[in-house]
Amino acid sequence: MALDIYKVNPEFRDIMPKEIIDLEENATWAQNQEKPRGIKELPETKELLEEHSLCAGCPEAATLRYVLSALPKPEETVIVNSTGCTSLMFPHIALHTVHSLFGNQNAVASGIKRVLEWRFPDKQKDVVVLAGDGATVDIGLDYTLQSFFRQEKITTICFDNEVYANTGGQESGMTAKGQVFKMAPTGKKFDKVPMWELAKTSGCHYSVNMTGSAPKAVAKAVREAILVAREIGPTYLNIYTPCILEIGLSANEGLGEMKAGDKHRFEFYKHVSPEAEEYLKKCKKEGIL
Amino acid sequence: MSKITDMTKTHNWSGQKLVSIEHMLFEAPRTKHFMTGSEVLKEAVKRATVDASVSYPITPQSEAAHLIGELWAEGYVGVYFRGENEFGVMSEVAGCSMAGARTVTTTSGPGTLRAMENFAMWSGTRAPMQLCLMARGINSPLSIQPDNLEVQYLLETGCMIWYAENVQELFDMSLAAFTVAEQPDVHVPIITAVDGFFVSHTREAVELPDDDIALQPYNPYAAPLPPIDSEMPPGRFLRDPFVMKSNYISYATHASWQWEIRSAVERSKPYARKLLNGLVHTSGNLDAEIAFVACGTASNQAKEGQRELEKLGIKSKVIKLRTIRPFPEEELIKELDGIKHVFVPEFNVVGWLANEVKAKLYGKVDVNIHAGPKVAGGMSLPAEAIIQEVMEVVNPGKGA
Amino acid sequence: MANQGPAYYSPYPTATYEGNITPPEGKALLLEDVVDEEVAMRECARVMLTSENATIFPGPQVLYGWNEEAKKKATLIKEIAEVLEAKMIPMYDYRPKYPKIDPEVEINPNHPNLTIWHNNIKAAIFVGVHCHYANVALKIVRSETDCYTIAICGLSGHEDAMATLRDQHTEELARFIEIAKEVKAELGK
Repeated sequence: MALDIYKVNPEFRDIMPKEIIDLEENATWAQNQEKPRGIKELPETKELLEEHSLCAGCPEAATLRYVLSALPKPEETVIVNSTGCTSLMFPHIALHTVHSLFGNQNAVASGIKRVLEWRFPDKQKDVVVLAGDGATVDIGLDYTLQSFFRQEKITTICFDNEVYANTGGQESGMTAKGQVFKMAPTGKKFDKVPMWELAKTSGCHYSVNMTGSAPKAVAKAVREAILVAREIGPTYLNIYTPCILEIGLSANEGLGEMKAGDKHRFEFYKHVSPEAEEYLKKCKKEGIL
Repeated sequence: MSKITDMTKTHNWSGQKLVSIEHMLFEAPRTKHFMTGSEVLKEAVKRATVDASVSYPITPQSEAAHLIGELWAEGYVGVYFRGENEFGVMSEVAGCSMAGARTVTTTSGPGTLRAMENFAMWSGTRAPMQLCLMARGINSPLSIQPDNLEVQYLLETGCMIWYAENVQELFDMSLAAFTVAEQPDVHVPIITAVDGFFVSHTREAVELPDDDIALQPYNPYAAPLPPIDSEMPPGRFLRDPFVMKSNYISYATHASWQWEIRSAVERSKPYARKLLNGLVHTSGNLDAEIAFVACGTASNQAKEGQRELEKLGIKSKVIKLRTIRPFPEEELIKELDGIKHVFVPEFNVVGWLANEVKAKLYGKVDVNIHAGPKVAGGMSLPAEAIIQEVMEVVNPGKGA
Repeated sequence: MANQGPAYYSPYPTATYEGNITPPEGKALLLEDVVDEEVAMRECARVMLTSENATIFPGPQVLYGWNEEAKKKATLIKEIAEVLEAKMIPMYDYRPKYPKIDPEVEINPNHPNLTIWHNNIKAAIFVGVHCHYANVALKIVRSETDCYTIAICGLSGHEDAMATLRDQHTEELARFIEIAKEVKAELGK
């Protein structure tokens, strides 16, 4: 059973650090839950992210914690990451995850998903991609869209901070027109790529554009996206998680920036295909949503 | 399509009897067939209990790639699809292998270069996939003809590189490749190279075991890293993390890791020796003072050169290198005992094999190493060119 | 202080480039020599019993009860620690902890030297660690410390350890316990 890989043998319990024992006893694994996991358990239970070295107040860090708390079955979830600020958090996630090159995350995820289906035909294993906007829309656009064309059963989550933050703040395809960043000293010359619309036309059965301002909304979108990807086809979540450092905000101003985004540039967008809609209704009836 | 659950302890999912690699290579009775390199690769994959393959078209490996697709449709291969370009394919193959699949793929020339970033990642993450490389020219100018300059680019990726001379050798090598690559103390990618067209498209007589037997399946839990399938601890496992964020870590881990990959390639030697019947193969006049060191089709041409030189009363021997990485230094030094001149005929303008030979033998043997003859862009290496090169050295100014 | 590698900072001496590789099936490796398994087991027990702060580093493959063999090995390893009077410090996962680990209570393959220096460990057994990470750790330890390393491996063994036993399953671990008890008695402990 996948959960056994977290069970510490009794002979070693007294030499293991508390956080590892906690992972076994206090984390919200799906196997031990009667209702779907979610945000509500966050304050009292062991989180899957042990620690992180990102900036204080980073919206990506907060949003990752919401995502991890919302995975329907974390003990059977593989997350594929790509180079960026999120990569600094990945070694500390208590799941099997992959960090490969830059931009190839959807290709690697496609291989993993197909093989896991082949090797475990009777188990439900979810494969989720989590990467930044540079990885998803610029260097990885080919592989991201092609995985949608091929109808790969994976969920792609893009942490959209509209910039290449980890390398010092360069313009990305997801930067707004006119915004000044490095490599665009006189402002970006072309519009922000509407990746959530590209996802729809490329074959995603569920595509959302939102911000990370409301934990429960993020959790709901993550849950729905992963469930749809299990049975129907590829799903996409575009989540605005601004880089407070690059846009000159302080640690406690990230939330305000996201809330402002909710009202204007990141007004909630949701596309659900008819088959996905049917399936979500079914999930709700069965109590797994 | 097949289901992996159809596999039993004695038979795989397509009903083939599971046998050891030794039985497959050395004991099973064989029958004669007449086929091309592409077709023989299909026959090897058919007998190898392969879980996954990803393909993309480029000359001259497209046929081999689509034939593997037919194996998938017939139920021999578990997972198969066409990727979007070679970079995507090699990343998809990485994902397949990381998730615990025995994986094979193919590419050539410009495709190899397009995928280049992946190969060092493959070896660094200890994934034992097989890449059958059907060497062809790289642009510019464009040529689909055989030219193995691309192998030079792969030398330091940390992958094993074996070179097959002909169709028969490709069959046996590609089966042995899975076994050696998957040894727990090796477990790095293996590139089985052949010269495009000369091997991929040329029909030869080959001897194959029956197709009702197949290799034992890959065991991803007897591996130096856990597979990415949430079934083996540690539960917290990222493949592969940034290791440079802390000065307490960076240089030490990075250097050690890189050395580990190269060590893994060295550890393959005993297994390769056994399954390939030696890392090198020597033929011709064993008491000669002239030797050809070659790999792939060039060794075939060198053998023809050797036969022609013999008619002229000049003794020579051909030392064929079966493995380039690991480089068979020990074997080569032993074979060069008594040799005064080494010629390295190659299918590329650079002479990368001659460079390798010189680098590895520096200070260890007292021979003259001549990088040539070299041809490029698909030109074949006629015996006359080899004879001329030899005569220029041993009989200067007098010709053959 | 520590023995440093030939280039002092990097790279590390790797045993394969000095002609040592993993021992063949049925044998063990002791420094540069291929020896019988029992000979190596005896020497490992002797070193652990006579070195300062001898420690066992159990890895994920034995720390967690993911299958029956792991659970059995856990019991045997605990007994080994008792017989050898060795401390146990876990390598519970392989993640690079930034900025650094707590060397008092854990060992990590990315900087195993910190744990060995901090606790002044002169002999150590690595068991249940995935081969890749064991090898990464062993090269660093070999190059940066004067700790005598022993690798008890369920697969092919580790030539970068001073001593390595291969194909060690529950039967072999039980035999090691018996041999360790004999050596302990011989040493008058």
